[in-house]
Amino acid sequence: MVGYVCKYTPVEIIEAFGEKPVRIESGCKSYERAEALLHTNTCSFVKGVLENIIENNIEEVILTSCCDSIKRLYDVLKERLKFIYILDLPRKKDTFAVDVFYKEIIKFIDAYKAFKNKGFAIENFLKILEDKSSFRKMQEPSESIAILGARLKDDVVEKIKNSCSVNIINFTCTGEDRIFNIESEDNLLKGYAASLLNLTPCMRMAEDRSKFFNKDFKGIIYNTIKFCDYYSYEYAEMKSQFNIPFLKIETDYTDSNSGQILTRIAAFFEATDIKKMEQKKAKKGYFAGIDSGSTSTNVVIIDENKNIISYSIIPTGPKALESAFKAFEIALNNAGIKEKDITSIVATGYGRVSIPFADKMVTEITCHGKGAFFIDNRVRTVIDIGGQDSKVIRLDESGNVIDFVMNDKCSAGTGRFLEVMSRTLGISINEMAKVHAEVKENITITSMCTVFAESEVISLIAQNKDQRDIIHALNKSVASKAVSLVDRIGRKGKYMMTGGVAKNQGVVSAIESKLGEKLVIPAEPQIIGALGAALIAFEGTNG
Amino acid sequence: MDVVRFYSNIIKRNMDKPEKINKLINFGLTTAYYYVSIFKDKRGPNSLHYLTKYCIKSIKDSLENPQNSAWVNIFSPCEFLIALDIKPLFIEAYSSFMSGFFIEDYLIDTAESRGIANTLCSYHKTFIGANELKILKKPEFMLTTSSICDANVPTFRYLSKKQNVPLYIIDVPYKYSKEAVAYVKNQLIEMVENLEEVFKRKLDLDKLREVVKIENKTRTLINKYLNYLKEKTLLVPMTFEMYMLFASHIFIGSKEMLKFYEMLLDDIKNAPPRSGKSIFFVHLLPIFEKNFQDYFNFSNKFHIAGSDLNFDYLDEIDEKDPFRGIAEKLILNTFNGEMERKVTRIRELIEKIKPDGIIQFCHLGCKQSIGGTFIIKDLATKMGIPFLYLDGDCVDKRNNQVGQNRTRLEAFLEML
Repeated sequence: MVGYVCKYTPVEIIEAFGEKPVRIESGCKSYERAEALLHTNTCSFVKGVLENIIENNIEEVILTSCCDSIKRLYDVLKERLKFIYILDLPRKKDTFAVDVFYKEIIKFIDAYKAFKNKGFAIENFLKILEDKSSFRKMQEPSESIAILGARLKDDVVEKIKNSCSVNIINFTCTGEDRIFNIESEDNLLKGYAASLLNLTPCMRMAEDRSKFFNKDFKGIIYNTIKFCDYYSYEYAEMKSQFNIPFLKIETDYTDSNSGQILTRIAAFFEATDIKKMEQKKAKKGYFAGIDSGSTSTNVVIIDENKNIISYSIIPTGPKALESAFKAFEIALNNAGIKEKDITSIVATGYGRVSIPFADKMVTEITCHGKGAFFIDNRVRTVIDIGGQDSKVIRLDESGNVIDFVMNDKCSAGTGRFLEVMSRTLGISINEMAKVHAEVKENITITSMCTVFAESEVISLIAQNKDQRDIIHALNKSVASKAVSLVDRIGRKGKYMMTGGVAKNQGVVSAIESKLGEKLVIPAEPQIIGALGAALIAFEGTNG
Repeated sequence: MDVVRFYSNIIKRNMDKPEKINKLINFGLTTAYYYVSIFKDKRGPNSLHYLTKYCIKSIKDSLENPQNSAWVNIFSPCEFLIALDIKPLFIEAYSSFMSGFFIEDYLIDTAESRGIANTLCSYHKTFIGANELKILKKPEFMLTTSSICDANVPTFRYLSKKQNVPLYIIDVPYKYSKEAVAYVKNQLIEMVENLEEVFKRKLDLDKLREVVKIENKTRTLINKYLNYLKEKTLLVPMTFEMYMLFASHIFIGSKEMLKFYEMLLDDIKNAPPRSGKSIFFVHLLPIFEKNFQDYFNFSNKFHIAGSDLNFDYLDEIDEKDPFRGIAEKLILNTFNGEMERKVTRIRELIEKIKPDGIIQFCHLGCKQSIGGTFIIKDLATKMGIPFLYLDGDCVDKRNNQVGQNRTRLEAFLEML
């Protein structure tokens, strides 16, 4: 078994040696062993690859000089494996570049021959190439969703395929069809080197990729990886160019964040009508929405005329299901009705999958959009800052979600950030929300990261700065994170702010001053998601 | 009130007026140029004064003459530009100056809000931000190498598309071979053809040979300078080592930089014998980090013993075939290729300079450098020299955890 990473790896050569090439994936639970050898701030993909090499005891690895992080992975592994080879991969594909790559492939063959003490049969190699080139798959772009950007894990690609009925084409490094030009048998290896360099270029290649992707897809899912910066340029260029549905996701290649990604993808499909919501026959009665969030669980019950008849907000305990039951019970009691009176229940929020008594699950993005538009139909942008994530949702004139962005996998700019800081300051979260007038000194918290910002606050306390000024600085920091999210989809009023942080007057006014516009704050900003879910429950049965 | 802060606030308030910002930045550079010309910093040597002036002027000149300027990265072979009398603007230096003007945060936030990754190197983000805000005048040409830093190719491709300016990417292979040299040489020829077409002038080969000749002479002086570092010390700020990148990279081959190294050699010959502790820096120096400023700028106690980035190529270039010679220089740069090359160079430098400690400031976003931290640490351990790595940012001051860094830096300096 020979491990490899890059799609430009000459895997067919490995096969011709009678060995099995295995693409090393990077999914792992932690980077404990990798971070003993590589700095924490190295790309998460590379750390994951290193973790997998150690975990699975992979002894033979072939890499390419594809990026700085992989080059350093090679340096770290050089003395640690039985066989490791790094191929110099040119970024261009002219005849000089082909010469460089061809010679590299020859050198690799020689090195592997010497290591294995066995020969390389060119006939085997030719047969492998012929077999691979005999079938080609053609897929129609207009009927497909394209996955572009940085390499996406096979299992996530599979899950995306299973969650919709349209065709998915994976253009990332994990999805390439390998087609070879084997016309010139007299110099098979040189032709092979040229064919490899002619694969659809990844972002590290010199060639401009736009000509490959200016196609009429039904939608684009654009993947980026934390610390892999290559693809953000293309994303920045592409996002404003297309009139088709476009979703950016960011993965860090750990196993833990695929849930958040699938939420985004499901919301994307909902918003773009790619997966139509099933609609049932009209029924009368009461309708409930349950928003099982990371910090609080909220329930809203509406009647058949869309009047809110009761709601509840409780902190989410360690078990999402128990909290959901409890919140539902409180809301039923407040309304003075029984569970049997409820016609339909829709669950939303992180914990939506663990609520068995819900009839349907809808992402919190769609629900927040729905709830916000219902409260005020002038709203075009919803800024939702919850306990552990923040999102900005763009609505059209009819209240449909047409775009959205979420914070990265980090608590900066969320309720959690303020919670940590209130602890650091030794005051309650409510006190923090109150103090917002009279700023003596305009302090700026420079760190974006919660942990670093905390130590910055500690040093401000040590400098005897006025607590109100520190709070003001913290509110500004949350506001600037929120407004930068707004800027990612472009500014458009009216704005509504939802989520627990909307109760913090300081943050609200800091956002207002940055946007230069008043925010609409609902009477109870925490229940907007649950309200949207209840409305969807109503529409699902009455629409 | 701090004049620079006052100036930066004016700039930030006018960010929606690109023309005005462009003028304000040019005004800032002109003021800085006259300020350093008139008020010479008496704490430092003559060469520092000369180099500071030259660096500010070079940035100012290229910004004021966009029609005769090319945007380049630090590893670009500027010998061709010098021979063609084209002014290079090296983007890393521009970003550093913007950080000096305290506006890097605004520029970085702009780049990030357009979708550029927040984990990208802040030298690149700052420049992209300035470009997005249209405060940079369009140059005639862009030139980048693919080597050493992953961000070069995509940043320049992005800039060139946005500005609609021709770009030449020199792909520098990772390994040295005769095919690799031929590949780069051919690209250099192609690049010169592009330059000739855009700037409508012909490259005089003798002039190029002359530039390479000066470059070789300069390198002889650099090697001589290195030999003095073991015994002598110059009192300089961290910026000096960073300004030296203008001399050791972009403008090497110019008469002015030859003069600088002549002055530097004189200065070090006449400098007092080494006293205090001497620290060798791997890669970059955090010129805007408060702790480092406090401890190292013009310090008698802790000296800057150099950075390997200023010594990443110390050999002669073939004057007869400069295209081939420069191709070899690009491939054989110690920052290119396996880490072993860099380790070997650092070992040579350490043996020559004999510093008391090594610091690697891990500039956030620099994958090539960060990824090799533990390898350098191993080298230092084997050589028995204390090693410290600290995380932070050389441009975006928001990423420097001053409190945490202070404890670690002080503990390290106490250890010496």
